[in-house]
Amino acid sequence: MRRTILSAVALACTAVLAATAPAFADDPTPAPSTPPAASAPSPGTEPSEVPSPSVSSPAPAAEPSRAPADGQVSAVPEGAPDTGVAAPASSGTDEGLIGAGAGGVLVAGGAVLFAVRRRRAATRA
Amino acid sequence: MTPLSGRALATTVLAALLVGCGGQGDDVSRTGRPGAAAPSSHASAKSVPPLERSVPVGLRIPAIGVDTPVMRLGLAPDGTVEVPPVTDDDRAGWYRHSPTPGQVGPSVVLGHVTVGTHGDGVFRHLARLHRGDRIEARLENGTAAEFRVTAVRTVAKADFPTDDVYGDVDRPELRLITCGGPRVGEEYRDNVIAFAELDSTSPAPA
Repeated sequence: MRRTILSAVALACTAVLAATAPAFADDPTPAPSTPPAASAPSPGTEPSEVPSPSVSSPAPAAEPSRAPADGQVSAVPEGAPDTGVAAPASSGTDEGLIGAGAGGVLVAGGAVLFAVRRRRAATRA
Repeated sequence: MTPLSGRALATTVLAALLVGCGGQGDDVSRTGRPGAAAPSSHASAKSVPPLERSVPVGLRIPAIGVDTPVMRLGLAPDGTVEVPPVTDDDRAGWYRHSPTPGQVGPSVVLGHVTVGTHGDGVFRHLARLHRGDRIEARLENGTAAEFRVTAVRTVAKADFPTDDVYGDVDRPELRLITCGGPRVGEEYRDNVIAFAELDSTSPAPA
């Protein structure tokens, strides 16, 4: 009987582990973030835009036949490209989950010990 | 302590230890930053005749599993280069004020490394490229331009090497750009830039 109870508790602990571990491994995008709409252009803005710095640049529709001056870059962008939006840092959340999981397991173990001792004491009496 | 209660305690401790180990894999695969490009005997200094102007429609980089359509990008209103929309994180974009791949000059192609909750970008493994790796650009007229990586650099965005990326060169070259390095808030601190030179061309199929 006791062995059955202990086995059930061990199985429950294993289930808790199985449920929590994959969540940690999936770290790259664990937490929601607001889409960076401001930093990335929408597809609709591109076709209508004509770059101002270039004197000789025609409309984008004529682009395939257009050769930039000397085959080089005709309009040099400013600054660095923003080609990555990182997911918000989530280490704090992970630590909280780990702590909660470990605490839950310890509480469950304590309850099992208590139950075993109570049952044993009742048997002796 | 009886054997049974001892077994229960041991199970509890083991479970707690396993839980503690579960979260420690955080970021291990993303902290590795390849340094300068590794030397390779593949790099060539041969001169390949440049191609006619034809916009790129596809990009293939076997070494990092990239095979993607290519969109066109221009300038944003603030003067920076446009990047693909976050919903098109699986696509690369060619900067349309740069030469087309195979023309003389630096042809510039950009792609995301990650786009927050949208997931990984098409250039997420760009920093893993090495000198000599092959990059194939498929052009609208059916020709293909094959480039070889000459260098991969990770540079701080604050010190972006504008001249090295957009400056004039006397042969057909390619620049692949994405973000990289440590994350600061929702941004990356650095840019990863792969420099490549034209290695060969293949004509359009008849």
